[in-house]
Order: sequence, then C-alpha cells, then structure tokens
Amino acid sequence: MSCQTLPTEQTAETSSANVTPGPLRIVAFLCNWCSYAGADKAGSNQLPVPSELSVIRVMCSGRIEPPLILEAFQKGADGVMVLACHPGDCHYKEGNIRAFCRAELLQNLVPQLGIDPKRFRFDYVSAAEAEKFSRITNEFVDKMRSIRL
Amino acid sequence: MSTPIKTAVILCTCSGIISERIDWAEVQTLLAGHPSKPVFLVDELACGVDNLEHLAAWLVQEQPSRVVVAACSPREHETTFRKLLSDAGINPWFMQFVNVREQVAWVTEDPRAATAKAARLLHAALNRVQRHEPLSERSVPVRTEVAVIGSGPAGMQATLTLARAGRQVTLIEKEPVIGGLPVRFEELFPNLECGPCLLEPVMGDLLHGHESANVNLLTLSEVTEVKGSFGNWTITVKQKPRFINPDLCIGCMICAEVCPERRPNRWNGSGEIAAVAVPFAGTLPNLPHIDAETCLRLKGEECSACLAECPVEGSLDFDDQEREYTIEAGAIIIASGAEEKQDLPASFANQEDVHTAYSFERLLAMNGPSGGELLKADGTAPKSLAIVQCAGSLDSSEVSYCSGTCCRAAAKYAHLASGKVAGISVSRLVREQSFPGVDAGRQFHHDHSTVVRYGAFSELTVTGTESGRNIMIDGGTTVRADMIVLCRPIVPSAGTAECLSLLDLDRDEAGFIAPLHSLSGSCATTLKGVYLAGSCRGPGDIRDAFATGTAAAGLALSDLVDGRDLVIDPQVAVVDATICAGCKTCIQLCPYKAISWNDVEKVAEVSDMLCRGCGTCVASCPSGAITGRGFSREMLRAELEGVLS
Repeated sequence: MSCQTLPTEQTAETSSANVTPGPLRIVAFLCNWCSYAGADKAGSNQLPVPSELSVIRVMCSGRIEPPLILEAFQKGADGVMVLACHPGDCHYKEGNIRAFCRAELLQNLVPQLGIDPKRFRFDYVSAAEAEKFSRITNEFVDKMRSIRL
Repeated sequence: MSTPIKTAVILCTCSGIISERIDWAEVQTLLAGHPSKPVFLVDELACGVDNLEHLAAWLVQEQPSRVVVAACSPREHETTFRKLLSDAGINPWFMQFVNVREQVAWVTEDPRAATAKAARLLHAALNRVQRHEPLSERSVPVRTEVAVIGSGPAGMQATLTLARAGRQVTLIEKEPVIGGLPVRFEELFPNLECGPCLLEPVMGDLLHGHESANVNLLTLSEVTEVKGSFGNWTITVKQKPRFINPDLCIGCMICAEVCPERRPNRWNGSGEIAAVAVPFAGTLPNLPHIDAETCLRLKGEECSACLAECPVEGSLDFDDQEREYTIEAGAIIIASGAEEKQDLPASFANQEDVHTAYSFERLLAMNGPSGGELLKADGTAPKSLAIVQCAGSLDSSEVSYCSGTCCRAAAKYAHLASGKVAGISVSRLVREQSFPGVDAGRQFHHDHSTVVRYGAFSELTVTGTESGRNIMIDGGTTVRADMIVLCRPIVPSAGTAECLSLLDLDRDEAGFIAPLHSLSGSCATTLKGVYLAGSCRGPGDIRDAFATGTAAAGLALSDLVDGRDLVIDPQVAVVDATICAGCKTCIQLCPYKAISWNDVEKVAEVSDMLCRGCGTCVASCPSGAITGRGFSREMLRAELEGVLS
C-alpha cells in the first residue's frame, strides 16, 4: 500500500483503537497572549467550555513542537488543539506562522500513524474571541465524542 | 517520577467564587496519593494583602521546595505569587500557577465536572513543578548614552529631548549640514509656516543652546559598523574631511565667492556651486565644506584663491583627513528618513521645466536656485503649472501605496505658485486625493487649482505645441503644462537602506524599517535598544517627524535609566553547546535576532538580552539542544502526562 492510499478518514472502530475508555481527554495548547487571553475572557463572560478540555499554556504557539502533539496522542488524548494568535497578530511576530506550518505537517502526518486527522485541530483565537473559544472547543469535544461512539 | 519533592499547594476560594463550583476538600482527597505528597492550604482570598502575609508565614513554616497556586488567571496574579515565594525565601520560579477561576469555575456548570477538572489540572501542575529549575533575573549595567542617526526634524527632536533630560547624545549626519529636508523648504503644509523659521531655533538649540553641551554632532559622517546589543552598543563612525577647521572658520563664505571651480548643486537638484561652499544660504552649522573631487588644490593643482582671501588663517585645512570614531551607546535611534523615488519615466525625462516635488520646493525657496522666483529654464515665468500627483503611486508597476503627503504638498505648490505668478493656471492631476487632518481641510477647500483625474501614470504623455506644452491623458483630455511637477512616490532613503543592512533589521513590504508593532510599537524595532523616528518608518510629514522623535527619545529614556541595571527575564532560550549540531536552523527562525553563531565553538548562542522567550527555536531545534527556561520539554511533557493521567 502506498502512502497515498492510507485513509485520511477513519471509522469509529479504527480510530478509537488506541484510545482507552473513560472520560474524553482533550488537550489544548494555548499561546499566552491571544488564545489563552481569549479563554480567560470566555471565563469572564461565563461562556461554557467543555470540562474535558485541559489547557496547557505556552508563551507562543511557536513553542509547540510536533513530537509533543504526537506524544499527546500516544498518551491517550482523544483530541489535541493548538490555538494561536491570528496571522499578523502574533506577540512574537511570526511564531503563529511556524505553528501553522507545523499544523499542516501534522495534518498530513497523523493519518500515517493511524490517527484520524479530525482529532487534531489548529485554529486562531484572539484575545477578544471569547465566544469563538467557547464555540470551537465545544464543537471539537462534541466531534471527539462522536468519533468515540 | 524520581524523588518526590515537598510541594505546598495553595487553593484559593476567591471569596467563594471558585469554591462555589470546585470542592477543594474533594480535590485534596483526589490528590492525596500524588507522589509529591502535597500539603494544602485553602485560603479565602489568597491575593489579599493580609492573606499573602499569612501565606508567607505558612510557607516559611512548611519549608516546601515547590509551590502550586490554584487561583485566577496567571495573567492576573502570577507575579503576585512569585513575589510571595521570594518573600518566603523560595526561588520564585519554583511555582506553577493553575487557572481554576476563569478556565474552570466560571466555564463549568456542573460542580462535579469542575472539581474533577481542577484536580486534573492540579495533578498536571504538581507533575510539572517537580521539573522546575531555580531561575534568577540577571542584571546588566547599561549605558545611558544614545546615538541618533540622521539630523532631520525627527533626529533633532529626539536628540534635543534626550539632551534636555541630561543624556549624552551623538548625532550622526552624513550631510555637511543639519535639518534634513524641510529646512530646505520655504513654507510647510498645511498652514504655510516658514520652514527655516520653524527649524532654525531647533537647530540653534542643538548647536548653541543649554543642551548643546550634551550633544556631540558629527556631520559628514556615516555609521560603518554596529556591534553589541541593547544597553551596550559599539558604533563605528567614519567622518569625511570637511577641509575647514570648525574652531576657526567664522562662516563669512568669502572662500565660496572667490573659488574658481564649480560642481553640480545636488541640494538644489539644479545649478552649480563652488568647490568650497555651503549647499544653500543659512545652513547650520554655518561652515562651508570643500568637495575634494572639484577643488583644484586638493587635486594637486596650483590654486590659492580661497587661501588668499580667507580672513582667518588656518580656517582652510587642506590636510584634513578622514576620521574614525567609536561611539559607545545604550540605544540607537534611527532617523534616516525617506526620499522621493529618483528615476523619472521616459515620457517626462530629459525635458526642460519638469521638476520633482523636491526640486520644485527648492525653486520656491528664497535660498534656492532662482532666489524664490518661479522661473522656467529660459528665465521667464510659466503661464501654466501642472502638478502630477500619485506619479507612480497606487500603481502595481511602481509602488502600490499612497505616500500620504503629496496632496497637501501639491495644494501648497498651487497656492504658492499662484502668489508668485499672476494669472498662472494651475492644474493638479490626481488619481486619488487625501487631505487628512483638521488644518489640511482648509487647504482642500481653498485650493487654487483645477483638479483633473487620471487613471494610470503610464497613460500620461507630454506633447509640445507652438502655443505651449500639454500633458495629455489617455482618452484625449489635455492639461496646459508650461511647468510640470511630478510628485514621485516616497521611498526609503539610501541612509535608511544602509541602517537596515548594518543592523540587519526587518523591512516592511515597501522597504522601510519594520516596526515592532504597526500600531502599538511603531517607534521600536524587533531589535531591542533600536528605536525609530520619522520617515524611516514609512512616508510621513513633519508633524510625524517631531512626534516620533519625541516618542523614540521617550522609549530610550524609559528603557535606559542611569543607575538602573537592565533586568533580564530568566525565561529565555538556552543552547546546550554539547548537543548543538550547528545546523543554524534557530538563527534563521528567531524573530528577534537573539541567536548568533559562535564560529569558534561552531554552535548557536542565545543572547538573553535579546531573547523574548517565545520558544520558537526550542520547538524547532532538530537536536533538541535548546531549552526554553520556564517552558522546558520536561515541564510541558510532565504537564501533558498529568492532564492525560
């Protein structure tokens, strides 16, 4: 089988093969200046954020190396999110662009490891986007729940 | 986990706001089995002044090696609790902060789910904090002197602001005179103020005012090398010989009157001046300079015309040599400016009475080539003046942006031309118009010209007829054009381009120096200790130049304070020289140029003074040789393991 023929979408059966049962475990890496601030604002606005989501704060989304994402999957994460500043808004000028490039890479890489690429999500959340943070984290967790079923 | 380290955990209720959702007793039960055997203290409002005292006493009593604080957002109180650790005699970096208010209690409806999540995040924090290393802030003495490059309004304003605060400033100017471009303009938009009247007092203060003792002015000088970093720059400056002794010359300019040789007057964009001369009347410093390539004596020929007439012996110094200076400074302010795009399109090139905005300014000036009279090359006054705006701007084939100053300049030209030549017909050919600001609105409403729109600069052609010259717009409209002024795009000056390469600064899409942030950091650069003033940042007017000169000086003043060392945040990247493979990936990635190549050891090195701790290099190092202090691989992995356990 060539790499091109590897499925990028998986059935519930295959995708949950390496996931241990129990509560959903979702990890979100957030940059300090935009997406973490957006998550804080979701809190100030009392918007719902899934309790299954565990946030790991880093100073910049550019800090996240792809092996860390893969390690999250290895250790049983149902889903992993990387949330960054919008393009042009990075506190460190372009760390979010590095994060974006790595996300592109991961999207292509994870299916090779038998991981449904839907289980990895890269997105932008600004310090003002409390509503977006709430919405996309809920969407993502709901999707992970449906993949698990 | 290796040997567990005693860890104290502070659980804040935030006056009941957190504990409304999170059951701290339950959390303690859930974490009781953690290998670090944490000791807990629930506090009603941990950030309260009295509470902090109580917590410090508790930490002193418990003597933990690590501390976890579960409270609000670290963006709000991380610093508060780092200080608490310091007060209790614990390294402040031995703390991990858990945000259980904004990111758990306030966003989780179900108290059982909130409690479980808080326990999970605390478990991760307990894991992570075991991997924390003691860090300390490093203090570096900084120099408070400042070097300013460029003596236009922006550079002069920055220099004077700093000098007034008692700072020693070296002002480096490549021209023989100071004042930049507008000192050569007769009147300034939008209010038609006299340019020299505005700028001469500023130049006077710089040269002779109370603050001048703090200013070391180097004219005819260029920066050739910059080494060092924020707080400790070493700047090499080469100064061309003036061949005039500034301590003796009284500025009478008799030498210029008797000099037999002539050279093109590049300051006027037309005409000639003597080999020994000032570019225009009223220049400061009031000293001539000699052009070595024109002066007969400096070319080895016999000539003593100036020497014979000079009233002060020794003023003319034909043995003057190039000098090199080493300037030590804590900060650099670049005020190297912008210029009009130099080339002229074929349809306008090599024709008489076609001016650029700059040469037209000189034509209007009393100290210009015609003494301020608006005259054509044949010595007569033009009957018509066509001012072509957007001449190469907003145009994908030349520059895509609007320079933002030409409309106000062009309305000024129309006004001044109408005053100088009775009955002159003035047209402004525009693609778009912009008159920003309250006072520029008056210019717009009292415009003396006929406004004609055109589509593309390349559509314009110049046609000469018996009765005079016209500009023809594609489609047939003709505009009378005895004299033409082209408002060419404003582009980075040669000096700005040199500063970009000397300091290896980022450039924006138009080639100007990129600011740290386009809105909130427009007078700073990504290189710490290098600030920007005036139009090296992009096209700007004189108001911008003065304002940003003040702003850049303010940044230098607040960053460099006499007697206050530079305190370096220890949360920076560090290269392990024993692992670094020398691939240089990190050097290219660092947005702050904080990583340099050690050619002796063949490894990359991070300057902690320049590093801002983003961790991009940490994540990118193929060898894993770079550690992000405070966010190391081990810490993030421990945290990850904690949230997934």
